[in-house]
Amino acid sequence: MTCKPHTVITRRTFSTGVTAAGLTAAAGPFNVLRAQGGALKVGVLLPRSGVQAGIGQDCQRGVEIAPGIFKDLGLPNLQIMNGDTESNPQIARAQAEKLINEGAQLLVGAFDSGQTTTIAQVAEQRGIPLVINIAAAPPITEQGYKFVFRNFPTAPMILGDAFANQKEIFAATGSAPKSAAFLHVNDTFGTAMQKGIGAVMPRFNMPYKIAETIAYDPRARDLSVEIAKAKATGADALLVVSRLNDAILLTRELVKQRWTPMAVLSMGPGWYEDQYLKTLGKLSDGPMSFVPWYDPNKKLSKQLEAVLAKAYPAINLNTNHIFTFEALLVAADAYKRAGSTDPKALADAIRKTNITDNVSIGPGIQFDAKGQNDKVKDAAIQNRDGKLVTLAPKAAANAKPDWPLKPYDKRG
Amino acid sequence: MNRLIKGVRPRALVLLAVFAAALVIAPLFVSSYVLSVLIIVLYFAYVGQAWNLMIGFAGQLSLGHALFVGIGAYTSAALFIHFGIAPWIGMFAAVALSVLTGCIIGYLGFRFSIRGVYFALLTIAFAEFVLVIVDHIPWLGSTGGFFLPVANRDRIDLFNLRGSQIMFYYVILALTAAALVLCRLLLNSKLGLYWQAIREDQESAEAIGVHLFRYKMIAVAISSGLTGIAGVWYAFYYNNLFPETTFSTAKSIELILGTVVGGVGTLFGPILGAFILTPLGEVLTHLTEGMKIDGIKSFFWGVCVAAIVLFRPTGLWPWISALFGLDPRRGDKP
Repeated sequence: MTCKPHTVITRRTFSTGVTAAGLTAAAGPFNVLRAQGGALKVGVLLPRSGVQAGIGQDCQRGVEIAPGIFKDLGLPNLQIMNGDTESNPQIARAQAEKLINEGAQLLVGAFDSGQTTTIAQVAEQRGIPLVINIAAAPPITEQGYKFVFRNFPTAPMILGDAFANQKEIFAATGSAPKSAAFLHVNDTFGTAMQKGIGAVMPRFNMPYKIAETIAYDPRARDLSVEIAKAKATGADALLVVSRLNDAILLTRELVKQRWTPMAVLSMGPGWYEDQYLKTLGKLSDGPMSFVPWYDPNKKLSKQLEAVLAKAYPAINLNTNHIFTFEALLVAADAYKRAGSTDPKALADAIRKTNITDNVSIGPGIQFDAKGQNDKVKDAAIQNRDGKLVTLAPKAAANAKPDWPLKPYDKRG
Repeated sequence: MNRLIKGVRPRALVLLAVFAAALVIAPLFVSSYVLSVLIIVLYFAYVGQAWNLMIGFAGQLSLGHALFVGIGAYTSAALFIHFGIAPWIGMFAAVALSVLTGCIIGYLGFRFSIRGVYFALLTIAFAEFVLVIVDHIPWLGSTGGFFLPVANRDRIDLFNLRGSQIMFYYVILALTAAALVLCRLLLNSKLGLYWQAIREDQESAEAIGVHLFRYKMIAVAISSGLTGIAGVWYAFYYNNLFPETTFSTAKSIELILGTVVGGVGTLFGPILGAFILTPLGEVLTHLTEGMKIDGIKSFFWGVCVAAIVLFRPTGLWPWISALFGLDPRRGDKP
């Protein structure tokens, strides 16, 4: 390709443009301003575009509803600086650097373990506290970090609580399945859960045995064969690890094939999501999900529910909102106690966090020497009339289990 | 040295020297944010160069190059974690395994005359295949991720690749420079001429005695080996590996976009492309921050890339080099 005489961009204009762009870029780093006093600058890093966009945007709702509640609690103002990780660890790292350069004094994020790990390295290197909202990989808080804190259960904690809560429900109902068919998606998450369940379940001496494990593709458009196979095992219950679309497909197949197991026990997303409830109406009632959740009996939970309902009437309070909100709560509380935006003072204050008026299940928010809240608990929740009720642990329950599952053909 | 600069116009040499000098002194002047962006740019420039060697020089399309990054990354990380083997030593194993995998793909493809998009499908299939395998190896962290311990970043331990951001910057800069030199030497060699002959017309090349299988295999081996080295750097810089985000086809596409935009088959195209795409993304992030529409940046980024590909289908480098008179002297092409 050669340069044509009538080309609009001349060499001179191109050079001028490049020089201008270069000067602008070079000047960028010198424009960094650090706030002294006033609101704490909190960089919130979430995957608001890319493959995890839906979840990232849902987490963002937890950010948006926080200021009014903090005001009521007498907590100081936070100046939120948003960063989109684009569901990419490389971008997450660059965004963390950018937010810190623009003056962020504390970071919150980032839903995904891979992205959170890269952000944690930047936070540690720059000496800026990072409060993790959601990320379950245990190694994140096993690195000896001084500036990284996690108020979210690790994967082994989630699985352990799930089986403990199941046993609590079986004890409360005086009935338990003797066998379960285990259906799971064969993607990364589903496979990890399948292995985790296999490893953790024997430790809990569960009353049921896995009759058959059936894996399926998350993009499957027809799950009739899988449900037929599960039904043929004669299992009492269905243990599932799925996503939203396949949860809807599986439910429709249960209805079509006229099989109502004693219980549907979900160890992942899908079965309690708003879209599941809306799409299936009465057919969505009954499944139980075992997830990091909120304690509906806590005062702050009620307030958070009310504020969310006002801001987003069609959306139920969920894990994404709860833990993103609580991450900001940790930040605001630490800022109040530290009385300073100095990152080291903030980190010291976070280390001494003791928030009992919180939302998630357990005695409150405290961090161990590794920066992990090892007291946070998970819940068993059940779909009921388009809403979600908490069944276990007992201390956080606001309803008794609807047990066994009401037959699908008798729901009107 | 003479082989390196033979035929290059003096003004191109001056510009290259200024550019290289600017990159060398950049950490003295830029913020850590800009440095992190430059690191991403150089990483894509390096991997783009390695991929370009296969498609741009030898005409063999791979859409699964993330496979070699992943193999290099997992091999060196596993040797470091489980046996305490330093990454520079582990790199030999990483490169050997990447080359072996590349050769298996190449053998299957070239032995059975799988060409063009079908060969590309074969590369994708292998990447997905290895993804599933790693998903099931607890020794490599399986789906839960493989984590390297993060060391004190204030000190520099080059031997174990544990250290500051600046250290990683200079390592990837050195790798990119080395890849550029290697590609320049290869392109001007007899081997490079054979590759170009194969790329332009395989049948004609064979008719004049070019051993297709041998030279295609060499291209795949060098390309996969170079990409495996990038994997070693990647593992020790990011300190965490997940099969889904390391081997996925989306990652492979991400790796090659810069080269496509810069100019496939050119020496400087992968570097130019990387220096355009990543900063473009950052500039768009800055410009669209106020819009408060999630993903709007990606939309504009896509529009920009589409516009570049539409108006400069052979990439930007041929156009820019012609515009600034940087083309090699007549008779000294490629």
